[in-house]
Amino acid sequence: MSGQARERATLLRAAACEVVDIGVTIQEVSAHATAALSESVAPGAVARAPAVAYRAERALIHAVTNDQGLGHAFVGGPLGGLAAKLGVMAGGESLTVRVLATSLRLRIAAAAVEHPELGDDPMLTRLVAAAAADHDIEAVRALRALLKDRGAVRTLSTLAPIFGEVLALRALLDENPFNDEAAWLIATGRGFASADPITGMSNRAFAVLDTGEGAARRVDLATVEAVRLSQRGSLLGFLRNIGLLGTTGRVLIQSVEDDEGVVRHVVQAPGMRLGLPDDKSPQDLLGAFSSAVLDSSPYSRALVRAIEDYGVPRGEELALIGHSAGGAVVMNLVQDAGFCSRHTVTHVVAVGSPVDFKRPADPDVWVASVTNQHDIIPSLDGQGGNTCFDLHPGWYVVDYSDPTHLFPRCHSVEHYIANLADDLPEERERIDDELARYRGRVVRSQAYQLFDRAPCPEGFPFLTVPTYLAETSEGTVELPVRCQDGGTLTAYFAADPDATAALLAGTGLGPAVRVGRHALVAVHASWNRRTSLGEYHEVHLGVVVPDPWHPRPLRAWPDLPRSADRRRSGSFLAGSVVDTAAVRAVAPRLWGGEPYVMPVEFDLTGGAVRVTVGGLDDRVLTLTGSLGPWLPAGDRDLVAYARRAEATLRSCVRTRGLGRVHLAPRVRLAVGRSANPLTGRLRELGLDGARPLLCLSTITRRTLQEACVPVRTV
Amino acid sequence: MSSSPDKQDAPERIAARVELLRSDVRRLADCAERLRRVEAELDAGGAAPPWLRETVRAHLEACAVAAADLAEAEARLSRYAERLGA
Repeated sequence: MSGQARERATLLRAAACEVVDIGVTIQEVSAHATAALSESVAPGAVARAPAVAYRAERALIHAVTNDQGLGHAFVGGPLGGLAAKLGVMAGGESLTVRVLATSLRLRIAAAAVEHPELGDDPMLTRLVAAAAADHDIEAVRALRALLKDRGAVRTLSTLAPIFGEVLALRALLDENPFNDEAAWLIATGRGFASADPITGMSNRAFAVLDTGEGAARRVDLATVEAVRLSQRGSLLGFLRNIGLLGTTGRVLIQSVEDDEGVVRHVVQAPGMRLGLPDDKSPQDLLGAFSSAVLDSSPYSRALVRAIEDYGVPRGEELALIGHSAGGAVVMNLVQDAGFCSRHTVTHVVAVGSPVDFKRPADPDVWVASVTNQHDIIPSLDGQGGNTCFDLHPGWYVVDYSDPTHLFPRCHSVEHYIANLADDLPEERERIDDELARYRGRVVRSQAYQLFDRAPCPEGFPFLTVPTYLAETSEGTVELPVRCQDGGTLTAYFAADPDATAALLAGTGLGPAVRVGRHALVAVHASWNRRTSLGEYHEVHLGVVVPDPWHPRPLRAWPDLPRSADRRRSGSFLAGSVVDTAAVRAVAPRLWGGEPYVMPVEFDLTGGAVRVTVGGLDDRVLTLTGSLGPWLPAGDRDLVAYARRAEATLRSCVRTRGLGRVHLAPRVRLAVGRSANPLTGRLRELGLDGARPLLCLSTITRRTLQEACVPVRTV
Repeated sequence: MSSSPDKQDAPERIAARVELLRSDVRRLADCAERLRRVEAELDAGGAAPPWLRETVRAHLEACAVAAADLAEAEARLSRYAERLGA
């Protein structure tokens, strides 16, 4: 942009500012006339001089309704408020509104000087002209034409430098009285746009939907993230950290030590995460909105809790860096006198953030705001880079334009980093100079996951149980085993009765539950995705046995669906496979068995199952096929019996999850060629090539597995 | 016997309004002058948009009419205040 163009834009903005002041003066004049009218109609006074009072009232009414003069100019008080709204709905305008519209048009003209593409764009010119002329239908047509020609993204990007002005212009001149206050605030720069300038819906009404006291929990960064963290403080380093965190609901706090050994701290807050408008994270759409509109939001309260947890010693200096909603949030912190009395905040850098109407409680805090003029987000408070007001003379403001106009790309932290690195070297150096004391070696980094409100413990209340430590050959483990997320399949087969009888001989268990002339056996496979033992798979082969003390096989059938605490029947474990050494080590405590450790695959998706045990060259079994139609089956606890050293052990897996029963599964079990003894056992039972009678599946479930208990069966 | 506070205060309150209206007539004239100055400065700097002259002219006319309306209202309100105070 040439110096001459910059000079013209400056002149236009100065003129716009002066015209706003003139408009405000006319508004005060209108208010005085409205108040005089209210005064003159006081009943006691009118009764004393009715004729003279009538003539005065008529003159005042004429003054505040004359289209050629003040226009429809009722202002202030109950009379003024109601009459003004009715007047706007009837299409009446005041001189104040016309003058403010002129100010907005001057601001648009200033933007067009700085962004020639705005003035050269006939579609945009058409839209602005229609908005300024209060031609509703033409304005809508112009906007539709723009959207059709450019698409939403390019339209927003094109409009970005004058977004607030166009909205305010429309709101001032339309017949909707409820958006006038927002338009007034945008036009005069006297406060945060309190309502949506299109509908007039209160912004605060939206913002208060974002509730929660805020909570923060320490989280470890993934290794791939941790190694990429900036190890020396710098503006770009902090912004890269923010980019690294992404919009995942996390923030980062780092401690930096300078050459003299002084430690300072830097809070790094990313912006809004995409997805649900209001999820568990305060970094959602509502959170971004409330952080911009309100002085305190769940995001800012959660961030305070993270800082308190991090433990910044009193007196040690703190810098706050935020992108997008994160910038609004760190400004919320710094305008809280209580926070500033507990912490020595020295610097705030807000990048791409709507922070124009936020003020630090301590005027000595150095504030920098970096905004791309084509980024709409910073102008959501009603004032963008095109404002004619110097809203914060003490701040260091970098308001720039780059050739990439596309929103939302130009809002991304990566884009800001690229701009600061390549296009704004002087501005970056200036901010880095200010942040010089934070330039040392990073000596501590801690990430926090933020929440609207304290999250309940995972698995609560089912998995909220007392725990204890147990020693195993692979180290100490915590019992009971809690599984937050897992999937399972149990397939019931008709097996050879003689083979099952041989397995049960001498156990005190049995006879096996019968299906016709066959015995009922189960193959149980599960993938425990997230547990207190880590992720693992397990596969068990069991013979279904009735109550060991009342062994009537027919009675076992109604007993099978009962919960574990009421079930007397169960599966006698005839072989188990797991795929981690840790689980094998704890298995004797859990179910009393000695499982084999082999690779296990489990896939239960799209109504089909595939379970394999053993590698390609050492395959024990493959269970694969379509599960067919299903009925809901509720939770399915598991009860197992095992033998160890002449003792019978009973174990339970309590389950919470939606189960399915498949009455006509098209699944087949194939026994492999592995030398594992389980292969032979499966063959003896006649399961090679067998199809199950029925299957039970659970796609996702939680389980709780206690240690097994010895019971006397012999 | 004393009169009600309403009756006692009305003339003074209306008189105060009259004073405000009188000063507002001057403020509107001042607004018109400031608008002329804005236009002149933009013209001199070569920054005046093509629509500005017509718009400012309309604002100046409105300011003049509004000032006349307020002056009329001020005169009538002043007479009313005098009658109440008599």
